[in-house]
Amino acid sequence: MAKKPVKVTITYCAECGYEPQTLELTNVLMRTFAHDLSSIELIPWYQGSFDVSIGGELVHSMYRDGGFPEHQTVVDAVRAQLAQAE
Amino acid sequence: MGVTRERFDQGLTYEQWKAQMTRNRERHDANETGLPLSEADLEPFKSLPKKVNVLMLAEDWCGDVIANTPIVGRIASEVDTLNLKVFLRDQNEDLMNQFLKDGKYKSIPAVVFFDDDFNELGRWIERPESVTKLREEKRQALYRDNPEFGSPSDPPDKLPEDARIKLTQAIAQMREETKPFADKEVVRELGEIAKGIAAKG
Repeated sequence: MAKKPVKVTITYCAECGYEPQTLELTNVLMRTFAHDLSSIELIPWYQGSFDVSIGGELVHSMYRDGGFPEHQTVVDAVRAQLAQAE
Repeated sequence: MGVTRERFDQGLTYEQWKAQMTRNRERHDANETGLPLSEADLEPFKSLPKKVNVLMLAEDWCGDVIANTPIVGRIASEVDTLNLKVFLRDQNEDLMNQFLKDGKYKSIPAVVFFDDDFNELGRWIERPESVTKLREEKRQALYRDNPEFGSPSDPPDKLPEDARIKLTQAIAQMREETKPFADKEVVRELGEIAKGIAAKG
């Protein structure tokens, strides 16, 4: 059965210079998952945020977890969501 | 480690800093020309007994830099007691790592004052605490007055797009409304540092 694609949202602080990290993560997700993602949403925000949600579930928050997420951590989290959605 | 005269002299002049900006230049310049500065505001700097070297770390993508760097630049241009040099944060880690906020954050702008022998006389980083506090209170009020914005602790991607756009606009407006207070606080805090330097002679 085809996997049900999931949506990834990256909310990044647009006044903190986090565009490179946002685009690097986006690039990894696009290349790794292609059509297994229904969309990748980028939200320019404030206050030093760098949050990643997968299917509406917050898997990384700079405020909560500190720093940027490891790419592999996000990739693994997407894989877990896709497996659940199968 | 410290800062040497030779290292300090490698910095950009304020005009060179502006010339190399690749974004936010218009907003930066508007903040510089639109800043109301009185004689009383400038007095602490004019009263400095000797010329003071001012090292400023900045990057043109940073909101606090665009708001506050022009204030430092304007003051330095209106008095003859400040020798200002600007360094790009991401190309000068040796300097940035010496002036971290709370010993760990690479917050900018970082403005550091030195005497002629490059002994540090004072430092000012990012924005006044009073500004952070006022804006946080106003942000909380925005959420309180607009239930459609949800909770301040909710990630913005949880909001419907129209509510998120409205919230973005409301935050931008709140920042604009608090700008005169923020500018005054920056000038006041920098002036307090200058007064402290003058008092030590």
